[in-house]
Amino acid sequence: MNVRLSGTIVNRGNWSLFADGVFDEGIHLVCGDVGSGKSTLALMMAGLLHPDTGTIGNSSIRSHIISFQFPEFHITGQDLAEECRSWNLDPAVILDAAGLAGREQTSPLDLSRGELKRLVLSCILAREYDLLVLDEPFSSLDCFEKARLCSILSERRNGITVIFTHEQSWFPRIDRIWEIEQGVLHDRGGLPDAVFRWKHAPAIVKDLVGKGKIPANVSRADLLEAVCRI
Amino acid sequence: MQDIRLRTGCAFLLSLAAFASVPGAIAVSVWWIIFARPWRHLRSLRMLIPAVMLVAFFGIVLEFTGGGGVSYGVRMFAIILIGAWIYNEYRPGEFLHLGTWLLGNTTGFDLGMIAETGMQSLDLMVSDLGRIRQAYVIKTGRMGFRNFVPAGRILIHGALRRADETAELMAVRGFRGGGSGCPVFVTPVSDIIAAVAAVCMGIIAVVPVSEFFILYH
Repeated sequence: MNVRLSGTIVNRGNWSLFADGVFDEGIHLVCGDVGSGKSTLALMMAGLLHPDTGTIGNSSIRSHIISFQFPEFHITGQDLAEECRSWNLDPAVILDAAGLAGREQTSPLDLSRGELKRLVLSCILAREYDLLVLDEPFSSLDCFEKARLCSILSERRNGITVIFTHEQSWFPRIDRIWEIEQGVLHDRGGLPDAVFRWKHAPAIVKDLVGKGKIPANVSRADLLEAVCRI
Repeated sequence: MQDIRLRTGCAFLLSLAAFASVPGAIAVSVWWIIFARPWRHLRSLRMLIPAVMLVAFFGIVLEFTGGGGVSYGVRMFAIILIGAWIYNEYRPGEFLHLGTWLLGNTTGFDLGMIAETGMQSLDLMVSDLGRIRQAYVIKTGRMGFRNFVPAGRILIHGALRRADETAELMAVRGFRGGGSGCPVFVTPVSDIIAAVAAVCMGIIAVVPVSEFFILYH
């Protein structure tokens, strides 16, 4: 199972993004500055945006989903129950998972962005997909929810998960790191070796690398373990 | 057309010309083909399809009920083309310059700023609509007619929320009204030619076509 980007280019005026690489089964982390093209690449991988040149192919991907950075763009229902049903999911189960039980009649647009994010992520994570694309999944979430999301993602046994994020503290166990730099997608490789080439690495990872204490991965537990070795 | 003063004046004049008569609407369409360079905005022209369909619908209803539907359809279609042209040619800050130039740093600045925020909001709504459409593609495969009402609700809610945030931000920064703008305009010869042509289209709209042909008399 994989997703292949073959010489894909997106042009928008003076801005462009070039991506070439293969995303195999596992959890991939894609980093980059604001405006570097993370959301564009996420849309492209989810099949919602076609590159100007190049092709996107896949092998054995039968189902895929994307979580948008802004959860309100997912909303199509008049109330929370209708919203859950628009995903073909049981409102009682989803609202309970999202911590919104008993609010079936509430309009999704009356929720805070954090609550809306919890709802949308609960809907998306309620099913198994071969390709799961998450654009800034940690934004608007508190630390408790970030930890819960990391735990759920780390438990995904099959399929390809691609996380596009600026997050600096909370990560699930990552298999491969990618970075977008100056309009080009770079493969930094698998962990733990990728931390040496990871330019957008969180400060704690850079400090650990500087002290020669290489974390096995970037999950909270792995970083704490590396810190304890100092 | 680079000069916002001429562009707005042309749009105003051409809209009146198109609304005044069918020959005027046809003349405006010809002007649009020659001077608006529509081939540069082919992708965004797709956004006109719902508006054109709406006009066509009312035109057909009018034709079968009281007559004059074809005339209505042709005239409104030309006005839509001019609206699309001015929207596509717009560059951020232009209406602020125009307002300040036209009515000064108090009323003109405020009106210019209202126009700017309106255009910005329209841009964002177009972008939002793209994302909402994608949400429907994810959930149901496509966006149909019955999804227009909930999509519109989300669009309006987003626009109101952004307007509220902008107002609060401006209040926090101490905005009370008016400002100081130093408008700068560039007026190439091609803009003047297009403006003169627009005036000619305006004349065609109000003067009977037969008046142009001496041999007719």
